[in-house]
Amino acid sequence: MTHSGAMTEQPMPQMPTTSRRRGLSNRARWTVPLVAAAAVGIAFAAPPLLASADSSGLPTISPEQLAAQVAAAPQQPLSGTVVYTARLGLPALPFKDVGGANPVSLLGGSSTMRVWTDGAERSRAALLGDVSEYSVVQDGPQAWTYSSTDNAVVHYTLDAADTARYDDLSAKAAAGDLPVTGDLPTPAEAGQQAVAMAKQYSTVALDAQTTVAGRDAYQLVVTPKSQTTLIGRIVVAVDAKTSTPLRLQVWSRSDTKTPSLELGFTDVSFGTPADSVLSFSAPPGASTKDVVVPLPEEGAQAPAVPGTLPEGVTVSGTGWDSVVQAFGVDVPGLLAGDPAAATSLPGAKRQFDSKGAQQLYDQFAPENKRGSGSPIGSLDTSALYDQLTTVVPEGHLLTSALLSVLVTDDGRVLVGAVPGATLQALAR
Amino acid sequence: MSLVESPSAVAAQPVRGALGRLARSELRLVFGRRRNIVLLVGLSLVPLLLGLVLFLTQDSALGGQGPGFIGNVTGNGLFLVVAALFICLPFLLPLTIGIASGDAVAGEASAGTLRYLLVVPVSRTRLLGVKAMGALLFAGAAVLSIAIVGLVAGAAFFGLRDITLLSGTTVPLLDGVVRVAGVVAYVALSMTGLVAVGLFFSTLTEVPVGAMAATVVVAIVSGVLDQLPALHAIAPALLTHHWLGFAEFLRLEPDWHVLGQGLALQAAWVVIFGALAWSRFTTADVSS
Repeated sequence: MTHSGAMTEQPMPQMPTTSRRRGLSNRARWTVPLVAAAAVGIAFAAPPLLASADSSGLPTISPEQLAAQVAAAPQQPLSGTVVYTARLGLPALPFKDVGGANPVSLLGGSSTMRVWTDGAERSRAALLGDVSEYSVVQDGPQAWTYSSTDNAVVHYTLDAADTARYDDLSAKAAAGDLPVTGDLPTPAEAGQQAVAMAKQYSTVALDAQTTVAGRDAYQLVVTPKSQTTLIGRIVVAVDAKTSTPLRLQVWSRSDTKTPSLELGFTDVSFGTPADSVLSFSAPPGASTKDVVVPLPEEGAQAPAVPGTLPEGVTVSGTGWDSVVQAFGVDVPGLLAGDPAAATSLPGAKRQFDSKGAQQLYDQFAPENKRGSGSPIGSLDTSALYDQLTTVVPEGHLLTSALLSVLVTDDGRVLVGAVPGATLQALAR
Repeated sequence: MSLVESPSAVAAQPVRGALGRLARSELRLVFGRRRNIVLLVGLSLVPLLLGLVLFLTQDSALGGQGPGFIGNVTGNGLFLVVAALFICLPFLLPLTIGIASGDAVAGEASAGTLRYLLVVPVSRTRLLGVKAMGALLFAGAAVLSIAIVGLVAGAAFFGLRDITLLSGTTVPLLDGVVRVAGVVAYVALSMTGLVAVGLFFSTLTEVPVGAMAATVVVAIVSGVLDQLPALHAIAPALLTHHWLGFAEFLRLEPDWHVLGQGLALQAAWVVIFGALAWSRFTTADVSS
């Protein structure tokens, strides 16, 4: 061990000429990692900062004009990545136990989805898990869901008669003579109406222009006039060029720093996606389940007159303070997967005007199916229910940042964007 | 004294071809060392055992079950490569790479051979570069041995056929092989950050086991921290955060942006810890 001792302590007259010919002292050598770390930090931090730096320069418009533009804009063919973040203040759930990409994970945390649509009849959405994916593919009258975790396909179709009717309807729609009761409002009128309706209970304004997914966007802000609702404000970012809504944020009154609910593109490109993306055929070896969905009758097509509610449902309060009350619902039974309980739902076989909503409903509505293919999968829903709700004198109360749900012991369900105490007072 | 004081002092007169000879001897050392060969063999046993177990149980009630891609293996041998990598990723690969990269400099120091290496007419920077190359190539070899054995075993046990992606779309076998090759390449590149970390630890100590353990701990702690929702803010900077990004290759349209992020993260770790290792190694006072 002759070669010991710190070199910096040694007097070395010859160093400048020989050993230090690279001109770097020890101290200088240790600054290199610092510089490297700083450079890396800048490289990672700069692009987002630059991207959000310039978002002005769009012409100023009014909320009515913006709403009219959105109503008038044709649905764009696009593909992109959507990030959904929920900070609902729900109790922490063992979402990891759900296993893989599963719609249940949308209850909390952050989820990433990829969406593709041709702007008309065909679309695909995929919920991404770490090494899994849950896909929903729609192609005109039929739709599929595929879960890579279960390797299970659910195929939704119309029966033959309904398919014919669907084709007929879409042909008519293409020709422009859809049988519609009443006059369709022009986009400008529709926009004005929407804003006027919103203004009844809220203030509507345009916020500073912003950038979403690298695109300039207007921000429409709807702030409830009511001081008792949980919702602070709703912000919709609309792409300036295509008038496609790019981001939706719902802010609660309690948290002013981050939105409680956020659904927005992080990456979007407008253009028709490849055909292979929009088509689907069940992979070999996958378990397949066929579900025939009834098409709503001609009469049911007309939008329900406001004020007519399914039997057993009442609404109290106005605007943002509305509380929906349903009677005679066997919630614990439903959660236990009891098929008999499903019939206790008011308007058990609900039909929706929009096909998308119908699919969504069918997918989440209890269908006497458990296990493979079910979005809930093997999750113990009763345990989930117990974990999410707190016991109050009136029953079980679920409170979140935006919505409260009270399930009373006598079978009533109260839902509203109001504090839980309001629901409890109503239930008494 | 000259040996101690500065690396460049000993490398004052570079000798032509010295770097090449050093590199060759380093490769012989890394790939000829019995411990490293055992590690590679051990890793390649993973797909073999996994394939064997799945082959024997495929007709039982347990067949076709398992996390990740294990359920898919019985249907298509190509998935054995992905499933084996998926299994090795959290612990076995970091362990192997930690051993190889943690040993790179500290092993020489502990065996008392580092001072002889420094006499080689090659600058310390280049010597570190050679050591890094040896550790990187070993990491690549570790991933490749899993992949190759997985492919062969998968083909033998279950056969190779058109591959069903996570999105439910079935693509031709050739496309599938390209995608799995992408997975292998991405996993191998995901290890570069860990190699840099191991190399840095290796320059800090003369006790190779310490450097190896510290490297493995970094990978595991990073994996644990990544799971904590409270640390959501720092998660994107964690070494292991994008390791599972390889799944992108098995989606319908791989998002190159996500893969790019993963590789950029590794590059950042390589730059920072490479620089740290360089600073330490070129200023260190080598006494053994």
